[in-house]
Amino acid sequence: MSTIHLLAGGFQAAFQFWPFLTIVTGLLVGVVAGAIPGISFVNAMAMALPFTYVMEPTQSMLFLGGIYVGGVFGGSISAIMINVPGTPASLPATWEGYPMTRQGNVKRALAIAVTASATGGLVSALVLAFLSAPFATFALRFSQPEFFAATLLGLVSVIAIAKDQPLVTMVSLLLGIAVGTVGVDPLYGQARFTFGVPEMESGVRFVVVMIGLFAIGEVVDLLATNRDLRPKKIDGKGLGVSFRDILNVKGAILRGTGLGCMIGVIPGAGATPGAVIAYGVEKQVSKRGKEFGTGVDEGLAAPEAAKNATTGAAMVPLLTLGIPGSAATAIMLAAMMLHGVNPGPLLFIMDPSMVYTIFAAMIIANLLMIVAGIGVAQVFSTLMRTPPAILAAFIVVLSVVGAYGVRNNVFDVYVCLAFGVLGWGMKRIGFPTAPMVLGVILGPLAERYFLTSLANAHQDWTVFFVRPISATILFLALVFVCWSLWPALKPIARRLLGRKERFNV
Amino acid sequence: MIRKSNTRMALGLSLVAGTLAFATVAPAQDYPNRPIELIVTFGPGGGADLMGRQMARFLEAPLGVPVPVSNVAGASGNAGLTALRTNAADGYTMGTLISLTVASWAAGLGDNEPEDFRVIAVAQSSPSFLFVSSNSPYKTAEELFAYAREHPSEITVATSGYGTQDDVTLKILSDAGVALANVPLQAPAERYASAIGGHTSAIYEEPGDVAQFVEAGQLIPVVVFDTERHPEFPDVPTSAELGIDISGLDNFRSIAVSADVPDEIVAKLQSAILDVAASDEWHAFCKKTYTCIEPVTGEAAQAMVRDFKDVIAAKLGS
Repeated sequence: MSTIHLLAGGFQAAFQFWPFLTIVTGLLVGVVAGAIPGISFVNAMAMALPFTYVMEPTQSMLFLGGIYVGGVFGGSISAIMINVPGTPASLPATWEGYPMTRQGNVKRALAIAVTASATGGLVSALVLAFLSAPFATFALRFSQPEFFAATLLGLVSVIAIAKDQPLVTMVSLLLGIAVGTVGVDPLYGQARFTFGVPEMESGVRFVVVMIGLFAIGEVVDLLATNRDLRPKKIDGKGLGVSFRDILNVKGAILRGTGLGCMIGVIPGAGATPGAVIAYGVEKQVSKRGKEFGTGVDEGLAAPEAAKNATTGAAMVPLLTLGIPGSAATAIMLAAMMLHGVNPGPLLFIMDPSMVYTIFAAMIIANLLMIVAGIGVAQVFSTLMRTPPAILAAFIVVLSVVGAYGVRNNVFDVYVCLAFGVLGWGMKRIGFPTAPMVLGVILGPLAERYFLTSLANAHQDWTVFFVRPISATILFLALVFVCWSLWPALKPIARRLLGRKERFNV
Repeated sequence: MIRKSNTRMALGLSLVAGTLAFATVAPAQDYPNRPIELIVTFGPGGGADLMGRQMARFLEAPLGVPVPVSNVAGASGNAGLTALRTNAADGYTMGTLISLTVASWAAGLGDNEPEDFRVIAVAQSSPSFLFVSSNSPYKTAEELFAYAREHPSEITVATSGYGTQDDVTLKILSDAGVALANVPLQAPAERYASAIGGHTSAIYEEPGDVAQFVEAGQLIPVVVFDTERHPEFPDVPTSAELGIDISGLDNFRSIAVSADVPDEIVAKLQSAILDVAASDEWHAFCKKTYTCIEPVTGEAAQAMVRDFKDVIAAKLGS
């Protein structure tokens, strides 16, 4: 009862003129920044940080929260429309959403994406408001071995989601992991594959690789093939989707939301593993799993719901424990600390009105996102009528700016351009790029968690199997691999069995 | 015709020369006349970021120009320092230089040296503590150390990595017969969660970074690695009281510029930073993060960085 009471107070505070305007502004900034390839919502939040100096602490959180919620969705707009994910978490949207655009169903794709995202975000905001205490306890039970197991599950689900041959996917994934090892190793400070170039010590950032492979690679391909972005036909008036269509994918949305809430709460995980795992699970669970990759509603809805479900969930450890689980929540922590507010259990006692205003704002932001998302998508749809050469120039400029903006480093721009050329080459010969990006993102995480798990367990490798949560996740990963590789394994197994039978006879 | 173009050329040349002369003379005389960038050498949200952002905010008044902050993270702060070193040495770029980065030099990382930088002022410093979780079986350092003497390397300590002052502290403890296992967790969030969640027995940290957990009673300080007790934690014994000599490993944070920046500019920046450090707002900020010190400047600051590197290098080499 007291939670509802406090939340009502939060809504009252959030619906005042200035706070409400702050949420809307943040949301729009987030959606636009997320939709522009190269300017991820994390960059947008970092750039917005100085603006929060002049705000009240609560208002600054509403602003950053708005950018966060809007930005995580915004990345899917460009993913669906031009096959360039605005943020890494929107990768799955390129696999299912872009084919729908090619078929002329761009409005339908966007409507499903925004509905799924908003639902996922809304549920996770409610979880944040009502269940943050048990979820915080849940988050604390995770330690390094569990992080490793979850990351490994993310890596193996890449094999499960692939449209291509599992072998080709694995080569791409492992290449990505190799790229991720460039730089100073996470534990011992040894430089690896830097070839004596000091700039290489900082490593290769996954955002830079992603912008290169997707945005630049896509542009070069677009210009080289003289392909027209404009789809054959654009669906007529209206939203291109009916209420029944949304109801049809409710299972996918619910599964995605559940996975997103669980994964988002784990410090260190985040939107990208959440979306990828949700896509992989959905591909196995859905009746139309075999058609995934051709523009299936469920394949778009599940990861969209999952990635926005991580937003509210990621706020749980930040607000209840004072532990930021991701880059976005780290920036929120910085904003709070700059105002002299320390998040953590004391905040709930000292300043509950602030906490519940943030909760209310997250709920409002997710509801408003449906309007904001469709509005911004309308503006972006004029992009589809832009001549490809002009659009390409814009994407290249924004990509270069984005690669530079990751950490204000010119070297990253060269890396980005190099990966652009590589991405185009891979596209030409039909070599998948997405597993490579996920390898760069998840590989270094897996390595670090593996090594620190061992350090914490006196180098005893059985630690991964004797801890119940870790063992369960690893078992799931094994099931996942067998399940997705079964079509490839079946003939081999049959042959082996067949031979054995012959021997028996 | 020829004469005309010659005149034009002369005019052009004199303009260029004038601009150049202006460009080279201007900084020393009416410095600063444009925004000064402050490079925070770590990502947003950490201790260095907070210090840099607060400093930038308060410096705008005494310097009279905007001080925008940019985060250039990577390689333990070396990526940002390389940018600082290679930018024009005109005083329009400052950067954060913290003990963790100096320790990384001792461990052989990066190609930056203490001589490459002019430390304008060490603005914050704090000794480190060992903290245990509130449900830890060991409530005091005596109990913790006694168990560790009996069972070497069984007690795990969350630290910021190998080759850091954290690692060196544990090595010194180990030499004194108290062997604790180093669990290197680079991400601060993971470090705090591991200690609070009871996944490691203890955590090595400066109090300001875990203030909210200490205030909430989730983490309990058991020992401070210093020769004197910390004024904010008068009940926590020092390592010296427990018979272990550890000092000179305090976590410090400073503002630095390239070594080639002219003296007059350094003097102006130094007086501005000292103004900020003397302000009430800065004191309030430092008090909250337990990092208040009398700012160290000039040769003393330079020596602090050099000595820190030597102490770490000597201990890592042995």
